[in-house]
Amino acid sequence: MSGAPNQAPGLRYPSNKKTIYDRNLNRSKNAELSRAAFAYLFVEMISYAQKRAKNMVDLEKRLNDQGYPLGVRLLDLLLTRSANPLGAIRPTRILPLVQFIAQQLWRHLFGRAADSLERSDAVPGQFMLYDNEPLVNQYISLPRDMSGLNCAAFVAGIIEGVCDGAGFATEGVHAISVADQEGEEKAGLWPGKTVFLIKFKPEVLEREEILGRG
Amino acid sequence: MSYTFTILSPTDTPLFAHEFGTCRSGGDGVARFTASERALNPFILHSALDIVEEVQWGPSSSSGSAAMYLKHIDKYQNNFISCWITGANVRFLLLTRPRDEVLGLGSGAGGGARGSLAGGRAGLGGNAGGVYNPTSPATEEAVKNFFVDVYEAWVKTIMNPFFHVGNGDVVKSPVFRARVAAAAKKYL
Repeated sequence: MSGAPNQAPGLRYPSNKKTIYDRNLNRSKNAELSRAAFAYLFVEMISYAQKRAKNMVDLEKRLNDQGYPLGVRLLDLLLTRSANPLGAIRPTRILPLVQFIAQQLWRHLFGRAADSLERSDAVPGQFMLYDNEPLVNQYISLPRDMSGLNCAAFVAGIIEGVCDGAGFATEGVHAISVADQEGEEKAGLWPGKTVFLIKFKPEVLEREEILGRG
Repeated sequence: MSYTFTILSPTDTPLFAHEFGTCRSGGDGVARFTASERALNPFILHSALDIVEEVQWGPSSSSGSAAMYLKHIDKYQNNFISCWITGANVRFLLLTRPRDEVLGLGSGAGGGARGSLAGGRAGLGGNAGGVYNPTSPATEEAVKNFFVDVYEAWVKTIMNPFFHVGNGDVVKSPVFRARVAAAAKKYL
């Protein structure tokens, strides 16, 4: 630290006396980020996680953990920036929440809405969010021995953060590439098509039912 | 009229607390709680959390989204509690204590606060009896504006990547406290 040793103790302010509380929240609303900068950072994040991970599951978990705090913060930020800030509303049922994720969150992160959202018939409380070409995977190539890894685990972490923050605890959000799981034909034109499986905990489903009955 | 404002995490951990009094017409902005009242306030706030949990999911006929401002949710003796819940389930609780004289009670236990009596009565929706009405549109509007200001400051606080929202980090910033005090002065 280069500060003089006889400086007054306590909070130090920058020389123009502006703190983060003086920054406007909407200042970065339409700001764009360089894709190259993101790709560079993401590659470094993966190698950081890879050095410490013991196996593939652990690596996906670490990427998930890196995205989680982003989700918690984005939830409040996007709600503040939504159409009518004074009449602010927040999602209280599962369906509006996942729609919020598919539309608002995706538009904020990737500039487009998610490609489709489905509810699973087989497993209650499971939702599938499809993304034909996740941006984060665009500059990642997977070696053959790690072909089961999907680096969109980072985005899955963001989704998990949003759901947990809103009070809908999940048992985990996983990113799975469709080509791996269901074969090349299912993926069709999109080899990188990824499905995000969001599974809500049973308590959340119970609460939905009780509230639905009214 | 005195207020206690607390921010609580979704796991009921207090993250921030601030006491102040009304600055409207004659009040000097200083809270006037006796020592016993001050000790009782945290209990009242925490018991109101049960009601927050019930009300936060909105009426069952709602279309799937609920407002963030939950308005007046609880009353304990002379204390009125209003609540604002953020998108991340962090609760802002405001405990309002109008002076006993305003409510027509004669006891001097409030410490003879004639100044804030004028503030309490004049700042509210013009009720002839001078009784504090927490559900009057003027009061609700004032409290809501206060909450909106604090919510903006709060969102700026959580945007800080070093502030661990889920872990119950306490807000220590004096700038945040100054913001809350300024919002209180402006609206309450």
